[in-house]
Amino acid sequence: MNSAASAPGTVRRFVLLLRPSGWLSGAKLWALMPYLYGVVLAAAIIAFNPDLILGPRALDVRATALLPLALVAFGQTLVVFTRGFDLSIGGIISTTSALLASQLTGTGLELAVQLLSLLAFGALAGGLNGLIIARTSLQPFIVTLATWSIWGGVAILFLPQEGGQTSPELTDLVVGNVFGVPVSLIAVAVLFGAWVWLRWSRLVLDFKAIGSDERSAELAGVPVARRKVQVYAISGVFAVLAGIWLAGQFGGGSPTIGNEYILPSVAAVVVGGTSIFGGSGSVAASIAGALALQMIPDLIFVLEISTFWTGFLRGALLLIAVTISSVFLQAARSRL
Amino acid sequence: MRSVALPDLLRSNRGIVAAYGIALALFVVGVLHSPGYASDTNVRTLLLYAAAIGIAAFGQTLCILTGGIDLSLPWTMTGAAVLTAVLAQGDPGRLPWIFALLIVLAVLVGLLNGAGVAYAGVPPILMTLGSHGVLASLVLVYTRGGMSARPPEIMHEWVTSTLLGIPAPVIVWVLIIVLATVMLSRGTIGRRLYAIGTNRSAALLAGVNIRRTLLVPYIVSALSGGLAGLLLMAINKQAFLSLGQPYLFATAAAVAVGGASILGGSGHYLGTVAGALILTLMASLLTLFSLGHAWLNIGYGLILLLALLIATPQSKRV
Repeated sequence: MNSAASAPGTVRRFVLLLRPSGWLSGAKLWALMPYLYGVVLAAAIIAFNPDLILGPRALDVRATALLPLALVAFGQTLVVFTRGFDLSIGGIISTTSALLASQLTGTGLELAVQLLSLLAFGALAGGLNGLIIARTSLQPFIVTLATWSIWGGVAILFLPQEGGQTSPELTDLVVGNVFGVPVSLIAVAVLFGAWVWLRWSRLVLDFKAIGSDERSAELAGVPVARRKVQVYAISGVFAVLAGIWLAGQFGGGSPTIGNEYILPSVAAVVVGGTSIFGGSGSVAASIAGALALQMIPDLIFVLEISTFWTGFLRGALLLIAVTISSVFLQAARSRL
Repeated sequence: MRSVALPDLLRSNRGIVAAYGIALALFVVGVLHSPGYASDTNVRTLLLYAAAIGIAAFGQTLCILTGGIDLSLPWTMTGAAVLTAVLAQGDPGRLPWIFALLIVLAVLVGLLNGAGVAYAGVPPILMTLGSHGVLASLVLVYTRGGMSARPPEIMHEWVTSTLLGIPAPVIVWVLIIVLATVMLSRGTIGRRLYAIGTNRSAALLAGVNIRRTLLVPYIVSALSGGLAGLLLMAINKQAFLSLGQPYLFATAAAVAVGGASILGGSGHYLGTVAGALILTLMASLLTLFSLGHAWLNIGYGLILLLALLIATPQSKRV
């Protein structure tokens, strides 16, 4: 940014001290931070109540709490790579939830077709964001703010208030087991696997190229407009997946449930160390960030304080993470 | 540094002109649909609700002008309302002390946001996202998660009183409009805010104290948000936890519909005023056509996109 926003000198000196120490160089340490937050939180919880982390069903419960945010954060991270934001996920999740609890309650093959058409809806709704952003060059933040409002309204049209009834088969699908392993756990593993498979792909590299310098990316032959449509379409599909999972888990829908995921998805990306100025970052780190955010309620539980402190601690974690990355970033820049 | 005299502003910023055009068109639609729409009572009600959005969006406009945003606004609004209702316990004699306390707290919240942005270099969207969570949590802890306390009766009398037929809150709003216009079109602070939003490095080289200047929008936002929170509480005769919730979208949309660029450097509070009028008119028209909450959300989204497309000439969309 500029010299007006520089870190306090002492902190910068501390960060510089880390530099020559081999594998623990500043940049690498920075990339490890989101995992460190998770480990610190886990250690704190274990100190009070080991069962919450090490107990027999702990992993299952944790994956269940993590999955919807991890899904949304996956798409959001890719969008942030391109220096964008996707607030419309709130509306897309809500619409998915509302439809599944009111209209799309089939069974068997019918349900499969309905779920597939929902995924297509996510791709179209997201792609529409991308199209508007690529064609008009309006700011992603404000465009997706508008489409969030639109899809949020559509959700209320289908399901005026919380309730409804989803197909029982959907619930069996998302809370079931495959060979004794819970579906949510498998899904989280698949998300990690997908990132490992995708991280050096042309698609992801193009997203990062657009985020770090759109004009250069264009000159280097990146199909910028097409990639923007793709990245928002992917984010829309992930939002639908989160909506499907939430509807199945609760057996009903809510026309505003998606709103609870907008700000946390951005928080997960940022706690994961991805810069909101685009161009760099990791989806796996975002999922770790989401995990850290989802461990805060457990911490509050073991500390036996009011659950109303959740927002406070999540906000504090976000601010700590952001300040640390901003200090590392400035230290890295001052070395150049 | 560029100056933004009013006539130049209107000539160069077609977003603001377009916004007033849309507002007028919406009003005409209302009048055509039912002649009573132009009645004194209805216009007064419309202006009262527009004033709530407009006052809340004062600080937001300044934040967005510098390329920032204040996401914590809903909870400054709710916080001010909740504190007043709980601390006053119906006794109007306590209000002066409470207002003094609120001003101190608002300045502290603004300083926290502003210091994070200006001194720690945290991007505004993240800084205020963090304080959004922190403030929401503090309000919930303070109220134990559920309340609808009533403010002193006298506050409701204040906001429903009129001077020469104009509701008192609208007069306050007009004063804020004058203040903002002088600030942005005549004052040094306005020029500095535009300079920071346009090009930070250039502003620094031109001798703007960026850090100190950047504190201003966030402090103003907490103060104007608190004032809007009190206004809404007095209109509704109660303070409730979801009071500020619609106003994050409403203020950002009012600023954007009013022709400001979310990237900073362009726009004016006069545009936000038109934005506040448009949002209020739409809500009232949809009620008139007996369309519910769902269509209001859809309508807000569409008008926001439409206004953005009209306001931003192809060449200026960066």
